Amino acid sequence: MKKIFLYTLLAILFLASILGCTTPYAYQNNGFEDVVVIEATLTNEYKTQEVKISRTYSLEENFPQFESQAVVYITDNLGNKYEFDQNTASYTSITPFQALPDREYQLHILTKNGRTYESSIEKLTTPNQISSVVPTAVTKNGILGVEITVNSSDPTNTSKYYRYEYDETYKVVAPMWHPNEAIPAGNVVTLRKRTTEARTCYSNQKSEEILLTNTNNISEDIVSNFPIKFISSKDPIIKNRYSILVKQYVQSLTAHTYYETLKEISNNGNVLSQTQPGFLYGNIKSIDSPGEKVIGFFDVSSYSEKRLFFNFTDLFQGVLPPSYPYYCPAPIPDSDIAEYYFNNCYSTNPNSTCQGPTIVQLIESRIKVYYPTEGPLYILYPIECGDCTSFSSNIKPSFWID
Amino acid sequence: MRIFTIILLLFGFNQLMYSQDQNSTINLSFSNINRIEVLKKIEASTHYTFYFQEDWFDKNVLISGNYSNKTIQEVLTKVFEDTELNFYIDARKIILTKNSIIYDKYQSKNTKGTATHNAPVFFQQYDSIKKDKTNTENAIALIGKEAVDSDIDLYTLSGYIRDLKDDKPLADINVKVKNTSISTITNAAGFYSLKLPTGISTIEIESLFYKSTSRKIMIYSNGTLDFTTTEKINQLDEVLVKGKGSQNVRTAITGVTTIEAEGVKTIPLVLGERDILKIALTIPGVKTAGEGSSGFNVRGGKEDQNLVLLDNATLYNPTHLFGFFSSINPYTINKVDIYKGGIPSEYGGRLSSVFDIISKNGNTEKFSGEGGIGPVTSNLTASIPVVKGKASLLVGGRATYSDWILKTLDDENLKNSQASFYDLFAKYNHKINKSNSVEGTLYYSKDAYTITPDSLYKYSNRLISLKWKHAFNEKTNSEFNVTNSEYKFSINYESTNPDSFIFKYKIDDTQASLKFNTIYNSKHKFTYGLSTKLYKVNPGEISPNGESSLVTPINIDDEKGLESALFLSDKFEITEKLLLDVGARYSFYAALGEATQKVYQEGVPMTPSTVIEEKKYGKNEVINTSGGFEPRIGLRYIFDDSFFVKAGFDKNFQYIHLLSNNTTQAPTDTWKLSDLNVQPQSGLQYSLGLFKTLDYKDIELSLEGYYKTSKNILDYKVGANILLNQDLETELLQGEGKAYGVEFLLKKPYGRLNGWIGYTYSRSFIKLDSQFNDEKVNNGDYFPTNFDKPHDVSIVMHYKFTHRYSFSSNFVYQTGRPITYPIGKYTYNGAEYTLYSDRNKFRIPDYYRLDIGLNIEGNHKIKKLAHSFWNISIYNVLGRNNPYSIFFVTKEGQIKAYQTSIFGMPIPTITYNFKF
Repeated sequence: MKKIFLYTLLAILFLASILGCTTPYAYQNNGFEDVVVIEATLTNEYKTQEVKISRTYSLEENFPQFESQAVVYITDNLGNKYEFDQNTASYTSITPFQALPDREYQLHILTKNGRTYESSIEKLTTPNQISSVVPTAVTKNGILGVEITVNSSDPTNTSKYYRYEYDETYKVVAPMWHPNEAIPAGNVVTLRKRTTEARTCYSNQKSEEILLTNTNNISEDIVSNFPIKFISSKDPIIKNRYSILVKQYVQSLTAHTYYETLKEISNNGNVLSQTQPGFLYGNIKSIDSPGEKVIGFFDVSSYSEKRLFFNFTDLFQGVLPPSYPYYCPAPIPDSDIAEYYFNNCYSTNPNSTCQGPTIVQLIESRIKVYYPTEGPLYILYPIECGDCTSFSSNIKPSFWID
Repeated sequence: MRIFTIILLLFGFNQLMYSQDQNSTINLSFSNINRIEVLKKIEASTHYTFYFQEDWFDKNVLISGNYSNKTIQEVLTKVFEDTELNFYIDARKIILTKNSIIYDKYQSKNTKGTATHNAPVFFQQYDSIKKDKTNTENAIALIGKEAVDSDIDLYTLSGYIRDLKDDKPLADINVKVKNTSISTITNAAGFYSLKLPTGISTIEIESLFYKSTSRKIMIYSNGTLDFTTTEKINQLDEVLVKGKGSQNVRTAITGVTTIEAEGVKTIPLVLGERDILKIALTIPGVKTAGEGSSGFNVRGGKEDQNLVLLDNATLYNPTHLFGFFSSINPYTINKVDIYKGGIPSEYGGRLSSVFDIISKNGNTEKFSGEGGIGPVTSNLTASIPVVKGKASLLVGGRATYSDWILKTLDDENLKNSQASFYDLFAKYNHKINKSNSVEGTLYYSKDAYTITPDSLYKYSNRLISLKWKHAFNEKTNSEFNVTNSEYKFSINYESTNPDSFIFKYKIDDTQASLKFNTIYNSKHKFTYGLSTKLYKVNPGEISPNGESSLVTPINIDDEKGLESALFLSDKFEITEKLLLDVGARYSFYAALGEATQKVYQEGVPMTPSTVIEEKKYGKNEVINTSGGFEPRIGLRYIFDDSFFVKAGFDKNFQYIHLLSNNTTQAPTDTWKLSDLNVQPQSGLQYSLGLFKTLDYKDIELSLEGYYKTSKNILDYKVGANILLNQDLETELLQGEGKAYGVEFLLKKPYGRLNGWIGYTYSRSFIKLDSQFNDEKVNNGDYFPTNFDKPHDVSIVMHYKFTHRYSFSSNFVYQTGRPITYPIGKYTYNGAEYTLYSDRNKFRIPDYYRLDIGLNIEGNHKIKKLAHSFWNISIYNVLGRNNPYSIFFVTKEGQIKAYQTSIFGMPIPTITYNFKF
């Protein structure tokens, strides 16, 4: 008996030590390297071009530091110099310009600590227009939704490497909007006509993914139905009208390879295996010390964009539209009455049912929004149900077509 | 003994009879009949009756003769020519005797005992010798045939000395006549020849590694006496590991070590598991990436550069439970030969080393067994004679009961965990006759474990090996071998979310090889042959696990390759002092279809974006071939008895690569075959060794150095993800390796205090350079490999208090291995990325560990049920929390470092072993 006990004990010790012994490790984090990070994509779009310079930051910090007081300019092989000025978060060219074919461009940066950085010499890639952006209702992995695909082609067969970004804009309509709004008046609220738009808003979001494709192993340089984004039919962003601006950058092979690797290191691997960590070299070098690490790639890409609009009902017939992203019950279930119904009156009697000061506080702090009901009581919904400006913008974008 | 008694009785009996006229003649003719038939013929045609034992005659020997008017003496002399039989004619009876002669006249002994020419040899001379009837070794062997008129005073005794287990001829065994100066040593064929005076002598054989044996012999004429002996396994508590001792002197190959399974039993080990491969790690030049890593790094080589063979079949994963135990049941193993320097030309296909594990042959005489009971596993091995003296079966099995223990626990986490393994072994060996023997080995090992409650990992090794040994003549023998090995693993990930999957991987190889050994003359010994191996790899398939899983099934195309080789080597003894072992291997590899191979644009980085064509290959169609000469040269020069020097130059090709992103080898690493886009690895090694034996206490010293370069060593691009990757080659880099080191070993093989101290200083670097930035690592400069651990010390000591009690200890120190740390963050294109240091710029803390053990041998009574052996050991006495791995997790936007350690506390164990 004693022996069995001993063995069991040992086995527990053993298994516990292999299965459960993970402890925080205080590693010597004195290896922090202050490295300059340069983001620069020059395009053939005539505009104020932008260069971002930041620095790496320690693992404990949350935001990068903007590298100020740097001298930034781009030169071309005809002796032109395009100078940049410092703005709040980036450097922009003093005058708008565009990258032209057959010119050779180089980025120069002189940082405030006196270091000079230069990119390799880059040429504009083949100008190429997006031919179409198409939404298609599809079922993917068992989920009904819309897939937005892009089509592009280059008869010269020289574009080959494509990177895409997108901007999404969608209309939001607050379901519990009312023309009247509650405004505080002492210990109670009074009603008045709304003065600003709060029913219809336009939300905006940018792509975070790195989208890359190439036409290298097909005989013609045709991007055919390259999937940009899949949106589930239950996603509230397509509840009303939706718009996507697809941006196409035709890249050089080296730029494309850089983004490919960047894409790989941005996902940490999967259950099966980790990705190999390491430093990714770009095409920018320090002139003073060639061994210095520099993060970033100076990319001269031909640019093209195309916008698409659609309504939910254009694509899905007989399909229940997505629900509003916030919970706005109508009618209000009996069990939740206490959460929604409020008595807009004021009394000092402790036994009174008056909730005037509570209402004033909820309205002032923009937590709840007024909605009418019969009788003396007010309904207060979460603000997102009746005022879309609480999470979106009521400014209609200039490109918006209804 | 009984024969003699009978003869003596007969002798006495016949004394009473009057001898008949023996001069009458007979006529006799016969052809192709055996001697017994001849005697019957004589009995039928004359009045003589023969008295003999039938087993003195070999019935298969047929003779012919034609005699007319010959006396019976003349006829019988002819008939018994070439036998050890004498005859004595007594009237109508003819008494045959083996070896001895029946004298009918007493002959006086020479008064001066200098030489006993002609002197008859009487039984009384040895009647007085004490005989141990149970021990055949002490029986007196009768050699040759006594001749009445012999006047030679010295006879030639010759014979072969072989290993009892595998019938291998044993060279360099000292054969001597006790109490005389007559001695010789056996040659490579195990042959010896001695001049002996007539009469009784005691022949002794002696060797450092084999049991000494002696035989008392009675020599009558020139004759033969063969010995069999076994390796000195019973003394292994003294000889723990031997760097092949004097055998090391005899070969010209550098960097060879042999570990005997028996010998490791006193070394304290984790959880009392006797582990032959763990001992290998205490040898200078052999390192592990850490506890729980299944790989070895030999002389700065990657984990995949070691060929582990079990009875000639590849063992892909020689470990259980993440590498804590080797997957080989130590009771079924005879020994392991480790070649870390010069690799004999008969082996190939890996750059760094060969671990040649040779299993035991079963006992053909009697049923016997061995077993062990430990806290985690138990094992039992039994040896069953099938045909007495010729064939036997050895079966062994080992299993954990950790699963059962886990299930009885209250802790929810541990209760749902699983960690179990077992292995099974069976070997049949059959000695058909003197020149033919066959062996067959079957082996299976299986592991199942969970790391997180929702995933179950399983892996298994399976191998079969069949061997036929044939000796053509004394000079040439051959070995024909067919093997098949399979390694597979699966991951069963079951969770409530839709990513549940089953992942499977498998590699299979089948090899046929034919090897010859020829002793051409005393100066040249050749080994030559050919081998061919067919690989099949299923690089991975993933399928959804359960109906709710949305995982898309992926199946990566199978890979196939054929690796063949021709090899030849010559041990050329130029002078007694200078030995040259010159060999070469020509290896040839063909990647075979059915396959689809991507063709990448030339002069640009290999990425999924630079594919220009997908080539399709039909079944067994050759995709591409590669190969080359692999010279293997070793040189040994003996300065004097106690000092010798060796030098070596070796080249190897390797056509199979292990893919692993993890720093340490894991069961889920996958093997990949060379193909259109992945080049074979190649390596060169230059080595030099100085070996010195000190007179003081037999201390052996060695100092070995090496310099290695290698090409096309696989590594990974930044961001590489290798499992289930359909464009795997785009994630791979092939770089140049460079490694060098000095290994120092001080060994005291014998005595009350024995053991060894090893120290290694070694470095291992790799260079991944390219004209393209994404194929460059650390600026294209040489940087330390994952397993670069400059300092390595191991001390193994064993002290014997008495015959029954001994103490052992084991100390290991290693520099911490290199690691890539996250050192910061940066934002690019709106997303946050982690900034990593240069690859392998930092090191994890150093590793050290001390284990101690007390060994108690059972009593030495001869009559007992089983011989027992207790081992009480404490692993990691110092409780050092050695990191096994360090990993980084992003939690709430913060990167946190964690360390996993295994056995970060002292682990005591008691193991009981028994032998019957």
